[in-house]
Amino acid sequence: MIEELNLGEVPSVFICPISLEPMQDPVTLCTGQTYERSNIMKWFSLGHYTCPTTMQELWDDTVTPNTTLHHLTYTWFSQKYVQMKKRSEDAQGRASELLGNLKKVKGQARIQTLKELQRVVANHSTARKTVVDEGGVALLSSLLGPFTSYSVGSEVVAILVNLSLSSESKMSLMQPAKVSSVVDVLNEGSIETKINCVRLIETLMEEKDFRTEVVSSHSLLVALMRLVRDKRHPNGHLPGLGLLRSISALKEVRGLIVSIGAIPQLLGLIPVLNPECVEIALFVLDVLSTVPEGKQALKDCSNTIPTMVKLLMRITECCTDYALSILWSVCKLSPEECSLTAVDAGLAAKLLLVIQSGCSPVLKQRAAELLKLCSLNYSDTIFMSKCKLTRTIQ
Amino acid sequence: MGSLCSRQRHNQAGSEENEQTAEIERRIEQETKAEKHIQKLLLLGAGDSGKSTIFKQIKLLFQSGFDEAELKGYIPVIHANIYQTIKILYDGSKELSQSLEDSSKFVISDENKEIGDKFSEIGGRLNYPRLTKELAHEIETLWRDSAIQETYVRGNELQLPDCAHYFMENLQRLSDADYVPTKEDVLYARVRTTGVVEIQFSPVGENKKSGEVYRLFDVGGQKNERRKWIHLFEGVSAVIFCAAISEYDQTLFEDDNTNRMMETKELFEWVLKQPCFEKTSFLLFLNKFDLFEKKVLKVPLNVCGWYKDYQPVSTGKQEIEHAYEFVKKKFEELYFQSAAPDRVDRVFKIYRTTALDQKLVKKTFKLVDETLRRRNLFEAGLL
Repeated sequence: MIEELNLGEVPSVFICPISLEPMQDPVTLCTGQTYERSNIMKWFSLGHYTCPTTMQELWDDTVTPNTTLHHLTYTWFSQKYVQMKKRSEDAQGRASELLGNLKKVKGQARIQTLKELQRVVANHSTARKTVVDEGGVALLSSLLGPFTSYSVGSEVVAILVNLSLSSESKMSLMQPAKVSSVVDVLNEGSIETKINCVRLIETLMEEKDFRTEVVSSHSLLVALMRLVRDKRHPNGHLPGLGLLRSISALKEVRGLIVSIGAIPQLLGLIPVLNPECVEIALFVLDVLSTVPEGKQALKDCSNTIPTMVKLLMRITECCTDYALSILWSVCKLSPEECSLTAVDAGLAAKLLLVIQSGCSPVLKQRAAELLKLCSLNYSDTIFMSKCKLTRTIQ
Repeated sequence: MGSLCSRQRHNQAGSEENEQTAEIERRIEQETKAEKHIQKLLLLGAGDSGKSTIFKQIKLLFQSGFDEAELKGYIPVIHANIYQTIKILYDGSKELSQSLEDSSKFVISDENKEIGDKFSEIGGRLNYPRLTKELAHEIETLWRDSAIQETYVRGNELQLPDCAHYFMENLQRLSDADYVPTKEDVLYARVRTTGVVEIQFSPVGENKKSGEVYRLFDVGGQKNERRKWIHLFEGVSAVIFCAAISEYDQTLFEDDNTNRMMETKELFEWVLKQPCFEKTSFLLFLNKFDLFEKKVLKVPLNVCGWYKDYQPVSTGKQEIEHAYEFVKKKFEELYFQSAAPDRVDRVFKIYRTTALDQKLVKKTFKLVDETLRRRNLFEAGLL
């Protein structure tokens, strides 16, 4: 029962001072302090004979079950449980009522109904089930179209994102006019709304009959990049990058992603992203390097090589892997030009680091090949000096 | 003493003047402040894209509409449209009857030839006669001729105005002695806009006034009038660019060799690149959807060069939606390719419109209003 409730305001007397969890079998020591039986017994078994909170030495090692406290705790939790159950049923009823209203109202009333429905659905899982069972998804989906206002669209997305959508409803949501309205909301929305849109699109992409054209849209990709670049709202970076990663996995869309200038934008972002985001950004860049336009764009960008070199061995092995792969693509494209830049940026030392590190053999192999590629244009002595190897050799 | 008095009077007069000047300056300052709150909207688009119809709709929706005098003012325009239409059709039928294929079906029946010639002559005049019942009856007879009907089907090859069918089917009513045009008639009436027209309005929301004041400008659309737009470009909040998506198989009025869709494409590109529009919101109205719907199932999109990579996928409503999405994506692509990278934060939204449908225009405009208001809040840092 305790687990089902999600409470922040459990009275402190019910909490065990050792584990900070509500007590299920409270026992009192001779000092008058009460603890969870299993916790205080463990304390004793470790050889302590003091009261953990008062630090007093115990003159009596008996533990007395605190029946009063136990009773009080149980009563309090039971009451809370009953209240929650009631609210939950109320929520179900309310959700049902709101759905009914939604079929009838328009304009401002519709927006208010949607807002309330979103609140109910967000707070009560039972309400979510009610909405799904009573055909709410189809109803909400029907509100999306070419004439959907922002106010309606943002609330609909906020609700849908909390529900479990059937295959059929996802297919319906993939209709171009509906997707367009979601993309419009993504463009215009507050950060929370944008994140909701991203999540909704991710859900649609999970569908097995997902059609690539749905995400093959300039507007969507530009809006996504805008979210990813938004310095004022860093909490949007991870969801945005996540969706970008999912989309870049689709071969047909890669050219489009490159065409909207994603590559220089991602490169410019890497220094300010947190490590988790950097890894995703690198994944995307790596995937984009598999198409000719991507390779070209990476090469054309002056900070590709320095950024990648810096990232080697900096964050995770995955990041190093992607960075290596990108460097390889770029250097292969125009070996003379790029190896010059790379070596100047300190690539050789980094590669040696990779080779000597505990990375996977595949990675080391790659590093070795890249080192070879870059060294082809230099004589041994010059290359050595360029590598600034002295410290490494030491 | 006298001179003192007169000086006083002179001073009095002087201070009166000063007061007046101060008052005028105050008024100018007030109005300039008020001006700043007025959001300017510029209707742009190629000729026949529906800009003026949108303009008329706004007048009908958010202003007092047209009074009887204004409605009656459209009678000459409507009658002119009728004469122009029937002339184009008759001349067109003669032209088509001289072409090689199916020429026989464009041959006017003997009894109608005289009528045809008569209206071909009238239609070419500078001043049209008033449309009487008799004239209307003759036009109707000619309209019903199968050759004319066949010509109508090939209307896209001629410069047939979109109002043709509507007016031809209402000839009886339009020629009544005490005919007063309906709102719908006015919306269909076609006159080439020269110069600039403007109206100021406030969209009336559910709670009466939404508070925003807009000033909408409509300019001439044909190529030879574009230089007139330039001085308007300063300080515009949003450009409403109208593109008639049903025109993909038609040529320009001014230049029979240029496809209208290609012209629209070029114009859109040109407008997007103008430096004065750096921060301007762009609202693209893909107009004449009602005509597009009907045409797209009969005339494949790829007759237009810009759409040459189009592949139909199904039939009926699904195909219409698919075709529309294709066109929409083409415009999106064009927008993002033409926009400099620093302009990518401009508002850009696409709306599907049928300018003649008042309800749809009202819905569309509510969305436009919402977008512009959100944009203002965003720019003020409140969102």
